[in-house]
Amino acid sequence: MDLGLFSQYVMNGLMLGMMYALVAVGFTLFFGVLDVINFSHGDVLMVGSFTGLATYLGLDALGVVWPAFQVTAVLAAATLAMALLGAVIARYLVLPLKSAPALNTLLITLMLGTVLREGIRMFYPEGANPKPFPALLPTDAYPLGNFNLRIDNLLMLSAGLVVIVGVHLLINRTKLGLAIRAVAQDEETAKTMGINFNLVVLVTFAIGSALAAFAGIMNGLYYNETNFGIGLLLGVIGFSSAIIGGLGNIYGAIIGGFLFAALQTVGAVALPFASAYKDVFAFGVVILIMAWRPTGLISEKVSERV
Amino acid sequence: MSAEIENGLVVEKVHTAYDKADVLEDVSLTAQSGKITCLLGSNGSGKTTLIRSILGLTPPNSGRIVFDGTELTGLPSHRIIATGIACIPEGRKVFPRLTVEENLRLGAYQEKSPKVLADRLEQAYHTFPQLRERRAQLAGTMSGGEQAMVSIGRGLMRAPRLLLIDEPSLGLSPILVKQNFDIIRRINEQNITVFLVEQNVHQTLEIAHHGYVLSKGRIVAAGTPEELGRDREVHRAYFG
Repeated sequence: MDLGLFSQYVMNGLMLGMMYALVAVGFTLFFGVLDVINFSHGDVLMVGSFTGLATYLGLDALGVVWPAFQVTAVLAAATLAMALLGAVIARYLVLPLKSAPALNTLLITLMLGTVLREGIRMFYPEGANPKPFPALLPTDAYPLGNFNLRIDNLLMLSAGLVVIVGVHLLINRTKLGLAIRAVAQDEETAKTMGINFNLVVLVTFAIGSALAAFAGIMNGLYYNETNFGIGLLLGVIGFSSAIIGGLGNIYGAIIGGFLFAALQTVGAVALPFASAYKDVFAFGVVILIMAWRPTGLISEKVSERV
Repeated sequence: MSAEIENGLVVEKVHTAYDKADVLEDVSLTAQSGKITCLLGSNGSGKTTLIRSILGLTPPNSGRIVFDGTELTGLPSHRIIATGIACIPEGRKVFPRLTVEENLRLGAYQEKSPKVLADRLEQAYHTFPQLRERRAQLAGTMSGGEQAMVSIGRGLMRAPRLLLIDEPSLGLSPILVKQNFDIIRRINEQNITVFLVEQNVHQTLEIAHHGYVLSKGRIVAAGTPEELGRDREVHRAYFG
């Protein structure tokens, strides 16, 4: 394979990995503070991408065509709306079930995901059809041999990196992050330090859901379309990535996300079967990893949870 | 007298059911302002349940808990802490995967002023110089005695008016136990009200101003250390 083509695959893998990592971080944050799996997370991502799309169409109808403003508004609307949705999910669905078995939370969030998915399908105008997603970023490309370096990909990758570094700083350098880590390690002692436990949970769900919205916008920009069903696969991939990385560990989730994208890329490129089987290959490897390391690659015992 | 009782922690006819085994029945006691009040009792007598009830972790089913005139019953834990209470919990409960300094900072979580926080940190390092050298070490990798320092330092970071201390001597060597009791006495000399829950009768009675004995979820004896030292109920609660 020549270097140009190889670079192209690496670039595509990095784009996918960034999206998966952002979704996986959400799963791992929720598990960290509350020991729950929020299975509506993928569908929150999907609603985020539709919120972005609707914001764009609204601005377009108002005649706002300045690109920098458009992309900022789309991102802001999607992340803020999903942060709010995440906090509402935590407040009204997850926290009330705190003393119930974890399976109940899993079931109720699974059902909420279906509600969100079917809600968009039925109530978004022609929501059952795939929607073209606007190219909000400059699509200029610089051909380097067989590799087309696209400006929009580069921008998205940089923005994703900034977001991940931002999450890292938030968790490790701020008082809020300290509270989140304390709650993740020992909920009761955290409460006796004077930490408002419910508030920390709400904020954590807001942060995780905003990250999902960001990934949803990235997904739309990358594929130039979005549809009501994208959350299903992205949710399962994000969850798998979080598990491979060792659920509860942020850095593990990020590594898991990029690892999953790498597996998909290898499955699509290097193996002798059609690229449609890339997910089968990637999930197959995930199953093998889980059989080999049941608690994930970075097990929780040795890793710093959240 | 009654004004003095108003000032401090008042537990009134508290009933708490917790995991069905460990319960409190009709517990009433007072921890007077500025004094060391102890609660003695053997394992499973309900001592920790009472601490949990005061902190709102296991809210009482009935009865009242009042601190300096503010009713705590029914408040969430962080608002109970906000009234000026700190806790040094049983088993020290340091956050194992946070550094010593992060643990200490969490003790003063509700403190808004960075300057006050820095002063308190300095004070904690002054009290426990070993902790300053190990400020960046993960608390979970320290010895039991060092974790006890972190836990006590963390409780003091709050600059509380009332400090709840749950079994400080548990699992520590006799020398460290003695050090801990000296520290508790010094804490009290800074005019911090101390409510001390212990199994260790002799050392506790040496520093306490007033004490209660809890057995099977009920208060069975109360009085000054001298009275309790002679009391048969005390012996029965432990050995009978």
